[in-house]
Amino acid sequence: MKRNHIVSLVVIVVLMVVFLATFQDASTYNTFLQAEKQKKETCTVIGTLVLTDSIVFQRETLLLRFTAKDKEGEVRTVYYNKPKPIDFERSEEITMTGYANDTAFIAQEILMKCPSKYADGKNTPATP
Amino acid sequence: MNYIGEHTFYADLGRLFVSLAVVASLFSALAYAWNIRTGDESWKRVGRGAFRVHALAVLGVVVVLFTLLFNHWFEFNYVWHHSSTDLPLQFIASCFWEGQEGSFLLWAVWQALIGWLLTLWAKEWESGVLLTVSSVQFFLSTMLLGIYVGSLKIGSSPFVLVRELPENIGLPWVQMVDYLQALPAFAEGNGLNPLLMNGWMVIHPPTLFLGFALTVVPFAYAIAGLIRGIYSDWVKPALPWVFTGVGVLGIGVLMGGAWAYEALSFGGFWAWDPVENASLVPWITLVAAGHLMMVEKHKKSATGITLFMTLLTFWLVLYSSFLTRSGVLGDSSVHSFVDLGLSGQLLLFFGFFVVFPAFLLLVRWKQFPKNASEELLNSREFWMFIGSVTLLLSAAQITFSTSLPVINKLIGPEGWIPLLSAGLAPPIEANAHYNGLQMPFALIVSVLVAVGPYLAWRSTPPHFLKRLIPSFLLSLLLGGLIAWGLRMSHPMHIVLVATTLFATLSNLDLWLRHWRGNSRHLGMTTAHVGFVLVLLGALISQGKKEHISVNQTFIHKDFPSNENMVLEKGDTTSMYPYWVVWTGERTEGKNIHYDLTFITSEDSVFHLSPFIQINERMGNVPEPSTKHYWNKDIYTHVTYADIRAEGNTDEWQRPIEATLKSGEEAIVYDEFMLQMDTLEVHDAQFTADGSAILSLNMQLHMRLKHMAGGETPLIARYSIRGDQVSFEDAIAEKEGIKVRFAAVENEEGTFKLQLWRRDDSNKPFILIQAIVFPFINVLWLGSLLMGFGSLLAVVQRLRRDKEKARRA
Repeated sequence: MKRNHIVSLVVIVVLMVVFLATFQDASTYNTFLQAEKQKKETCTVIGTLVLTDSIVFQRETLLLRFTAKDKEGEVRTVYYNKPKPIDFERSEEITMTGYANDTAFIAQEILMKCPSKYADGKNTPATP
Repeated sequence: MNYIGEHTFYADLGRLFVSLAVVASLFSALAYAWNIRTGDESWKRVGRGAFRVHALAVLGVVVVLFTLLFNHWFEFNYVWHHSSTDLPLQFIASCFWEGQEGSFLLWAVWQALIGWLLTLWAKEWESGVLLTVSSVQFFLSTMLLGIYVGSLKIGSSPFVLVRELPENIGLPWVQMVDYLQALPAFAEGNGLNPLLMNGWMVIHPPTLFLGFALTVVPFAYAIAGLIRGIYSDWVKPALPWVFTGVGVLGIGVLMGGAWAYEALSFGGFWAWDPVENASLVPWITLVAAGHLMMVEKHKKSATGITLFMTLLTFWLVLYSSFLTRSGVLGDSSVHSFVDLGLSGQLLLFFGFFVVFPAFLLLVRWKQFPKNASEELLNSREFWMFIGSVTLLLSAAQITFSTSLPVINKLIGPEGWIPLLSAGLAPPIEANAHYNGLQMPFALIVSVLVAVGPYLAWRSTPPHFLKRLIPSFLLSLLLGGLIAWGLRMSHPMHIVLVATTLFATLSNLDLWLRHWRGNSRHLGMTTAHVGFVLVLLGALISQGKKEHISVNQTFIHKDFPSNENMVLEKGDTTSMYPYWVVWTGERTEGKNIHYDLTFITSEDSVFHLSPFIQINERMGNVPEPSTKHYWNKDIYTHVTYADIRAEGNTDEWQRPIEATLKSGEEAIVYDEFMLQMDTLEVHDAQFTADGSAILSLNMQLHMRLKHMAGGETPLIARYSIRGDQVSFEDAIAEKEGIKVRFAAVENEEGTFKLQLWRRDDSNKPFILIQAIVFPFINVLWLGSLLMGFGSLLAVVQRLRRDKEKARRA
């Protein structure tokens, strides 16, 4: 076997390993219902904040509790044990990564999308 | 209709320049193509002239856009959206490239300047190279057109007036001749994103885009080589451009890291965010392409892969521009641009420059020279080849993971071919994912950097191994010491510390002992040492970063302990090895600074003030504050603060009133007994007729007794000066009770008291995160060395070539 063939073979094997590892590490986009079907398995739910329900942040425990509605309209209580993000109430959409347990969705990571932070033509200056 | 106060002349001028840029670049490309086809030299001159017209037109667009921004002409959508009058001068530049249009323009203007230089320097390669450069410029310029063909939008113009926006057409105010004066909304712009108001954001984008723009040069040379059937000799003129690109792009990427470290609060300089990855990946393949081009220059034995890697680098630049601008990353990155509806055009741009060159490469593949013998295992070219393949694999891994949103668009549940049942989200532990997979590549590359420079082309006499022994042994020793000193436990980390040290030492050793400090090799040595120091600095500062703010409160097994610390105003909190006090907050311009005092056990004190930038229009952003030592940084940022409650942070709650006589006692707040003792009266002065009090000081002595025993003496003061009454309240700190001597009642010896109870839940607090990054300066030092080393190597090579040409 020529050396070039060995190198090519190694390259292919490494690529396979890398791709498999990526699929292994990647979480999936789900709804709350799907998350509940596979309890304790990590997934990502995109939803919106339900502002009419209370948003409670306890400083003793650093626990944030809020209610979110996913894209299918399912509403769940979400717990997040990190500080309440600044301007949380202003978020347009929240991406929650975590898992469901019997009573709630436990978010480990939250990504907020604020509508105004990046110019998008939505806020036009003149609406007299 | 003539609107009052609009500067439509500049809009027309800007659009004129854009159109000219589009037409001239197309014309230039066609003229150069015709020259290649017919060999008619006059067409080359036409192409050159057209390209220069194009370059001047692009420059004109830049000047016009800056004019609009500097003059705060808010009738322009771009100006209104990206700037405001209160911006300091240097940030006007950041406004320029905040939007997509401006960043396209930045890219185009660098490429126009580079193209101009190529018309002067490329000589016999001019037509082939400029054909590609002007075609790329054509596509880039159309991105700024902003015209509609039917319902198809081509480009997005930075010269659109707000009243011309589709959503405003037909609105009543558009009919107002004096809308600019009449509507307050036009007096001030939306302003710059607060995160971009940072010195790094003034210099990071132009540097990064210069780096991106430089990748077009080897791309153009490779295509020219393919067209002309000259498959090896194109590398010589392209090489200086490649390593200029390596230096500039490398510095540009790390400047982005420096900005993230200083202005963003995700806690570090690198987070494997898709946007960061998109800028890193082309740098990796550019380094690989540059090294392959050196192999090709010396040995002509890597023709196919060199061409491929060179083309790939520019493809990745285009791809990264597609990723960040098409809105595809919307769910996975916080700082990508919002979709301007140009995805189709971007795809076309991307597709055009992938399909044609790839086709050309495949068609010509058969003609590439075949080398009869295999490279030897002790030859420089073989290991350079292995190193480049390793870099390619590393780039492939990053690209693949970053592209999950694209994969979703293709085969996700809502994609073109729905193969997956659920959409793929980015890895949850992004750092663990990328670091884990990238470390083996870093390991191989650092060993190759250590050994590679010792190898000769073709074949190396075996004694080179002996030369490596001192640096190898020393790196084992030093690596062991560092691992022990920093208590590193991860085996991969320890090995990587040793290999990066090995590479540093072996390169220094080679240069000092074997090349006797010859300045000829200084550039290469500096760049290599810089690169491995970046790896080492990143490894130590990230691998051994320590959250010193850890909240250990146990909530539930589902919730791990938290990396944030509660600080109550005035209280001292232990954050080993520091004691931290939040002394207060102050407002400075737009920022609320939170002043923290860090006290170490050795009585040394330093202050940090992380802040929150208040921006009503764009949202408030926290920004970190960092204490730099030579060997570590202490990085803090506020993760929670109740901004709105400011002014309402009174800790004294639950007011009650009591009327008591001397000697009486009363139960207050269920668990305390308040006992009146004596009243002292001082400095009593009355008016001459004795009917009114001029001044009076009274002290009421009380005792606060706890039901469980123990008492605290209290003195509350009441004083009168003229018609001013003032109180000095008595505070029982331990019990958390405040007593005010509010009035003397008419009845002799009866006092009216007001009491408050301290409400701890209302005591102002903030949450902070504090992280120690050890030896992060190694990273910054390394990036400087890497950048300047690459540029120095280019300068030295050019000088050597010139000398050689003179001698010949």
